[in-house]
Amino acid sequence: MKSALVLAVVLGACGGPVFHLTSPDNDRNALTAALAHRNLPEQPAPLNASRTPRVFVVAAGPTKQLIAYDLQRGAILWKQNADVESRIWVGGNFIVEVEHKQLVARDQQTGTVTWQTDIPGEFIGATADADRAYVAYKENASTWWLAGFDGASGKRLWKADADGVLGAPMAHGGIVYVPYNQQWLSLVDGKTGAIAARIRGIDEGISMLRVTSRVAFYGSKQGVFRLDERSASGKRADSSYAQVVVPPQLDKTTYGRDTYDPVQNAYTAADRARILYAAPADGMELGAYAVHYFRFVFGFARGGTLVWAYSNPRVELVASEDTGAAILAISQTGDLVALDPANGAVRLDQNILKGATTGSVLGATFDADGWSPSAQGEKTETVAALVSIARDHDARFDRVKELAVQALAKLPGGEVTQELLGVLADTRAPQHLKDVVVDLLVARKDPASLSVLAAQLSAHDDFLLQTQPLALGPVAKAIAGLGGAKLDPAAVAAALAALQSHLDAPTTQVADLVFVIDAMAAIGGGKERPALGSHLLLYHADDDLGSDPAWGKAIVLALENHGGPGERELLRQVAADPRTKPDLVAIIRDALAND
Amino acid sequence: MRVLAFACAGLVGAAPAGAKPDQKADKKAVAGKKAVIDQLAIALAGVDDEAAAKAADELGDSTDPAAHEALLDGLAWGLRAPVAVQAASALAKHPAPPDVSSLRRYATHHNPTVRGSALTALALYPDPVAHAAVVQGLHDPAGVVRASAANAAAKAHVREAIEPLFALLARGEEPAARALAAMADADLVRKLGDQLGKVPDASLALCLGLVLRRPDFGPDAERVEVVRAIGKITDQAAVNALTDYIDATPKNPPRPSRAEAEKMVEARLSGGAK
Repeated sequence: MKSALVLAVVLGACGGPVFHLTSPDNDRNALTAALAHRNLPEQPAPLNASRTPRVFVVAAGPTKQLIAYDLQRGAILWKQNADVESRIWVGGNFIVEVEHKQLVARDQQTGTVTWQTDIPGEFIGATADADRAYVAYKENASTWWLAGFDGASGKRLWKADADGVLGAPMAHGGIVYVPYNQQWLSLVDGKTGAIAARIRGIDEGISMLRVTSRVAFYGSKQGVFRLDERSASGKRADSSYAQVVVPPQLDKTTYGRDTYDPVQNAYTAADRARILYAAPADGMELGAYAVHYFRFVFGFARGGTLVWAYSNPRVELVASEDTGAAILAISQTGDLVALDPANGAVRLDQNILKGATTGSVLGATFDADGWSPSAQGEKTETVAALVSIARDHDARFDRVKELAVQALAKLPGGEVTQELLGVLADTRAPQHLKDVVVDLLVARKDPASLSVLAAQLSAHDDFLLQTQPLALGPVAKAIAGLGGAKLDPAAVAAALAALQSHLDAPTTQVADLVFVIDAMAAIGGGKERPALGSHLLLYHADDDLGSDPAWGKAIVLALENHGGPGERELLRQVAADPRTKPDLVAIIRDALAND
Repeated sequence: MRVLAFACAGLVGAAPAGAKPDQKADKKAVAGKKAVIDQLAIALAGVDDEAAAKAADELGDSTDPAAHEALLDGLAWGLRAPVAVQAASALAKHPAPPDVSSLRRYATHHNPTVRGSALTALALYPDPVAHAAVVQGLHDPAGVVRASAANAAAKAHVREAIEPLFALLARGEEPAARALAAMADADLVRKLGDQLGKVPDASLALCLGLVLRRPDFGPDAERVEVVRAIGKITDQAAVNALTDYIDATPKNPPRPSRAEAEKMVEARLSGGAK
């Protein structure tokens, strides 16, 4: 009764354009009343009247097709040829979409057109709730309109004008959220078109809207607010507000559609780069979240640690939704994928359009809040997914591959090291990615990987076998990084033997040789000294190696730092040999200066 | 590791007490010889590459074990490339088992000439380690080293080298053809004949032609088989190989292999059966 009174007060305060700059805003009582005015389900549920989880798909082809699929039964509900120019908005017994600049309503059970109406101006956006459809449009250079239509008949119920820019609206249980002039979010009574409350973003603009069956979110690319009473503050600090960490490799991802971008009234690439999150029970403390990025979905823990990954084979996922119980996505070829939001386990991977269409899926709208296919002990294949991403040859995703190898490198074990080395061996992998992998291998310091790294050294420059060492320097550098770690003696022996084979190899480049020497010194524990001493003697007077300062520094420091009195005596004698190259003599004298 | 002995260890035994005058003369001669070797050892380790190479050569010529030891010491301490080339050859003038490990070290030197020289020297050591180094040399990225290894394999009749030599033959490497020709017996010739179509015709013709011209290869019935194997090769190199054989072989006493070769060359030149 009280909320109805406040609502009436606010409605009564309106004069001139319904949407205008001087309307009251951030009124907590009005907001509370407007929110209470919504007719929302007790539990998360689909919006359609039968509360059946559905997905509405628009497929390309000689003639576009609109297909409704019943997720619960796993069957196509209907399909219709329809030249759909927009996304699909779901109401109670109907859906609406745009065809040939007309708002078209279709029966949700059959797909037949129930009514259609001209959009009298430039289309800004549409939405629907159980009983009504709503359209925002711009009629001339300076007037925007929001209009309400009866969902069953298409009869226009009201229209409200605005003296500033309106964004695409979203309906929610009888209230319509309407962005205004980038800074405001108006809550409009869907029945009358009157403004019930208005929020003004004080320290963040309002350009993004997302609605589930029970919760509405708004915000911008910077962060996301939960629409609740605290929103009346207009400030992040006093609102239910969240910002999640998105790796820079997944740039351009958003919390929801940009309501001011008319292009996004249709399904676009923006739908393929989305932050997916479920509403917390209260407030906006987001725990886990995910990012849908074209072919991939990444799961993150709070704080931004990547915990799982999903890689869709070959084709992109064109639409996705976090239902609160599952992450749903559909691919260009009609594969419906359901992932466990907690661990990325694949609960469902099924082509739902087999035989129904020959065209690729352009986009889809899920009406499946709260729904998930039943879990059946699915395995999480995160490593396989990350490897698949890292090895992907699609050049558009080079930065995503970086993210994948970074995530891989955080996992322990020789198998992961093997996979990282596989990236280095891939002739089609971009050089920048290989550079990243090299850095990660070096930083990895995983003792369990020593035998894998040593095995990598088995290839040599061999004319007959047509082989060459693969990433010798980086692998040696990675082994050197294991110095001081507790290592398996057998793995150390194998690694030393492999390293020495490259130390002695005639064609090892100086740059690699330096890392080989460092690695031998780092893990040898003294067993490397004879080989390194012999190497120094062999080349101390050599015109090429003997004069190379990097080589000289590496070999001298390896013997000086890791050797004993014998090695230091050897260095002294080498320095005293008149044939020894002057640069090498200087390095030895520097190294022995404190002796 | 022997690294610190610039001068060779004294190999000359101490003279027994109460030595007679002629023994004194011997001792003096020995001392003089030792001094020469010491001087050569110093030169070997000196900064003058030319003098060091000459010293290596002279030490190699000496039958004195101390000279050999001086070479080994020089190699162990590390010789500059031009000197190492000479020292490896010098060492092999009087092969001794301890040489192998020293030469093997130089067989993987960064300088290809040094590697080639070490492999050539290793041919003179009937040691599995030496043979393994020679076989490894056949895999070397540098052609000059592979050639040295092929020559060494032929010289030492390294059986383990045959397979990689076939692989090199398949890549048209002439040193491999020459090495296989030098090593070939009747059995190997049959295997070479089987390579027709698998290796370049010119390389196979060269190899089999060289087998024919080996005076130690025979009896003549086996040469006939070689001629027939060459006859199957369509490349002009086959005609050249047969012509070379005919030219290098006297008419008398008549050899069936020469007659067969003549027949084939005539047939080829007249455009008849190949």
